[in-house]
Amino acid sequence: MPNPMIPKDRADYSAIVDRPPLKLPGKARIVFWTIVNYEVWDIAKPMARQLLPAPTGVPLMPDVVHWAFHEYGMRVGCWRFHELFKKLKIKPTLAANARICEDYPRVAEEAKRDGWEFMGHAYEQGPIHKEADQSGMIRRTLDIMEKYTGKRPVGWLGPGLTQTLETPDLLTAAGVKYIGDWVYDDEPTVIRTTNGPLVTLPYTIECNDIPMMLIQHHESDYLLKRTIDQFDRLYAESRKRAKICALAIHPYISGQPHRIKYLEAIYKYVNKHQGVLHWNGAQILDWYQSITGKQLKAAE
Amino acid sequence: MNFPKPAVGMLPNDRLDYSPIVKRKPLKLPKGARMVVWTITNVEEWDPTQTMPRTVLTPPAGGAPMPDIPNWCWHEYGNRVGFWRLLSVYDEFKIPGVMNINGVAVEAYPDIVKAGVERNWEFIGHGFTQRNMQKVENERADIRKSAEVLAKATGKRPRGWLGPGLTETWETPDILAEEGYDYVADWVLDDQPVWMKTRAKPILNIPYTQECNDVAMMLIQHHKASEFYERAMDQFEQIYKDAKSSARVMAISVHPYIMGAPHRAKYFRKIYEKIRKKRDVLFWTGAQIADWFVKVGPKPA
Repeated sequence: MPNPMIPKDRADYSAIVDRPPLKLPGKARIVFWTIVNYEVWDIAKPMARQLLPAPTGVPLMPDVVHWAFHEYGMRVGCWRFHELFKKLKIKPTLAANARICEDYPRVAEEAKRDGWEFMGHAYEQGPIHKEADQSGMIRRTLDIMEKYTGKRPVGWLGPGLTQTLETPDLLTAAGVKYIGDWVYDDEPTVIRTTNGPLVTLPYTIECNDIPMMLIQHHESDYLLKRTIDQFDRLYAESRKRAKICALAIHPYISGQPHRIKYLEAIYKYVNKHQGVLHWNGAQILDWYQSITGKQLKAAE
Repeated sequence: MNFPKPAVGMLPNDRLDYSPIVKRKPLKLPKGARMVVWTITNVEEWDPTQTMPRTVLTPPAGGAPMPDIPNWCWHEYGNRVGFWRLLSVYDEFKIPGVMNINGVAVEAYPDIVKAGVERNWEFIGHGFTQRNMQKVENERADIRKSAEVLAKATGKRPRGWLGPGLTETWETPDILAEEGYDYVADWVLDDQPVWMKTRAKPILNIPYTQECNDVAMMLIQHHKASEFYERAMDQFEQIYKDAKSSARVMAISVHPYIMGAPHRAKYFRKIYEKIRKKRDVLFWTGAQIADWFVKVGPKPA
């Protein structure tokens, strides 16, 4: 095993058309996987995203306006999410900086009470490449979440999906079972790490409000349009093989008054279809492990 | 105006004179066809140890951290999943494929190459790696190696070339001609093929496109997915009209990681659903366009 491993050392190229189809239980054909991202933007650091660059374009510290832009999501936007998902009885995956348990206990408590899946998403928001002690940060993140929810998270998403080449090894060492950082397939896959296999689940940077709204600057209703197009295609393909359609949202983006109705309309559209499961990452992992286990047995 | 000449190679206007399209002798396609559409599928391998050629997601608080696994994965999705969606469109509408492929990608993705070979696609050189030709250490070796890898994998030497990101040095057309390429597609300056002078024999340029190109439209201009279809139709209708008295060529260029995404694939398919029905439109490869033009077009100056 080369050290550290580049992506091709962790997983061989595999064409989806060459694989046997995966099957979901009963008449289910597609999983709609909702990932809500809750973060902590420390006012002492540069803000993770900017909506309104300062006059003359010089980054300013402190960047109160973008701290406030994000804070709106934690004060107001996230409650629109909680209302929606309670009504729909959906328990999304919560990719959260562990520090939300300390800085926003009111919000963390709500997610815990609603039965959301807590997924490790670093201690606070910032590229993982800048962590002095990545291994320590990963353990600390998982420890805080375990203490808070009573359950050690099985999933991990890098902040902004950032990883170093060692990250998967450090994650399995800390007990992580799946990651969302490898957006390279429609299906779960298994990658090699120094501590055994790690499952990748098909998270998304296509149906994700950061690239769509903050980077590509699409209009608000495009969140709905692109997700419908994505879902339609995957749903059509799911006639032959199980598919997973992920949607990643942030309270300071999709929780805005002018966007929330498009998010609500996504679920209205998706739920008109037969055979749709609203599972979180832990449930997708359980299913994938159970069927791959069976397939392995059948091959013996 | 006289511009200072480069030490090696030529300035564009030393390779070909300015020529207004309306003053040329009309070009005729076989069987009364008005225009040709060629579709180019770009297959690349992105080196995970280098900066990614493009990104969809920037890291929190900016910068360009290395490695950049999410954007590497985003591209790899095209080769694992997206390519196969594009392929189903080509199969459904019987579109002859043109694969524009990096030398390293030929070895990395044998399944993709095999799918093209089985369908008798045309393979064209696209740099040994996905790297600006001005930054390649030895341009000639790169161009030669690209041809050798393709000859070995497909049984045929490539006749066409498109630089990675359409990049060229002053010398690129000379080296291409010397290395036995028949045409290049980097010069997006016309709706018809044109001859260009080189140090060796003349080389043909075939109209490629940065307009109906998913990198420019989706990743740089950030249009919504349906705009790819809308623009292709606008482009098609105008070229079809323009081609009434003299044949023209339209190019459509796609990448599996962009138009092969589930939410975009249907807009790509819709283009062919619409234009494939036209009886006076030919769907050809670059090599077919080159062979036709050599036969019926003006001889090189």
